[in-house]
Amino acid sequence: MDELDYKALEQIPIPEGLEERLSAKIDEWEKEEKKAKRRVLRPTFLRYTAVAASIALVFGLGYHLLSQDKYTNLAEQDTYQDPMMAQLEAQRALTLLAANLNKGMGHLEKAKALSDKTEKRLNEQLNLLKRYETDHH
Amino acid sequence: MKQTIIKALLCVVVLLCSLNASAQIKALEKYADMKNVTYVFISKYMLGMAEKNAAFSVPGVNLKVLTDKLSGIQIISSENRSVRTRLRNDVKAFLTKDKYELMMQMNEDDNKVNIYHHIGKQQSAVIMISDNDDEFVIMAFSGKFTMEDVMKMTLDLH
Repeated sequence: MDELDYKALEQIPIPEGLEERLSAKIDEWEKEEKKAKRRVLRPTFLRYTAVAASIALVFGLGYHLLSQDKYTNLAEQDTYQDPMMAQLEAQRALTLLAANLNKGMGHLEKAKALSDKTEKRLNEQLNLLKRYETDHH
Repeated sequence: MKQTIIKALLCVVVLLCSLNASAQIKALEKYADMKNVTYVFISKYMLGMAEKNAAFSVPGVNLKVLTDKLSGIQIISSENRSVRTRLRNDVKAFLTKDKYELMMQMNEDDNKVNIYHHIGKQQSAVIMISDNDDEFVIMAFSGKFTMEDVMKMTLDLH
């Protein structure tokens, strides 16, 4: 069956220049396909995000490096190499902070005590006044 | 793809934030090499070493509660009159610029003590300024802490 078909096909006359035309058409399709592949780009949002991220990274690093003034290295070094000295100084600083905060809170407590005392006295006077009013009515 | 880009962006943001977060207050770093100014910096590492020592305690003060969260302590002091004026002005400017809030103000005899705080997500700071006729002292405590942590330190004193 196949042999018969093949023979019949062989007998059909091939138009002149068909092979060239077909191969030119195939080349053209290939070129178009390549172009289409190149055109498939990422969505606009992603492209802008990528650009923004790159700019942020460059500016961030640049800003950080520029803002490092000449004293940074010196300032970042520990003043004390001896942990004992560092401990004493840290202890002193933290104690001073705590003591001052406590002093402030102490004044606040005093003020609160005074305010409570005044409120108590005021309530006593008001009660006396109420009692006086009820007795005379 | 989209998730990868979001992850990359988050990494960039974290990286930039970590670059800006410092163990100390940048505005005070310039005094490290100034004439007539004593500049002391105690890093987190040194604080950690001190904390391990059994002698690191003061009766009535809970040092541990804050020390654990500190990333550094800066102490700047000067007895020089002109430097004191400069320090006073500089500190006032940077406290306003960085939106520090006044936490406590005490005027006792000839000594003025002001305590400011700035609580941030990345870094918090408490600054104590002591100003008298003889000396101007700035103590800056930086780290990741809350106001509760600061107040807890003094609870044992009551």
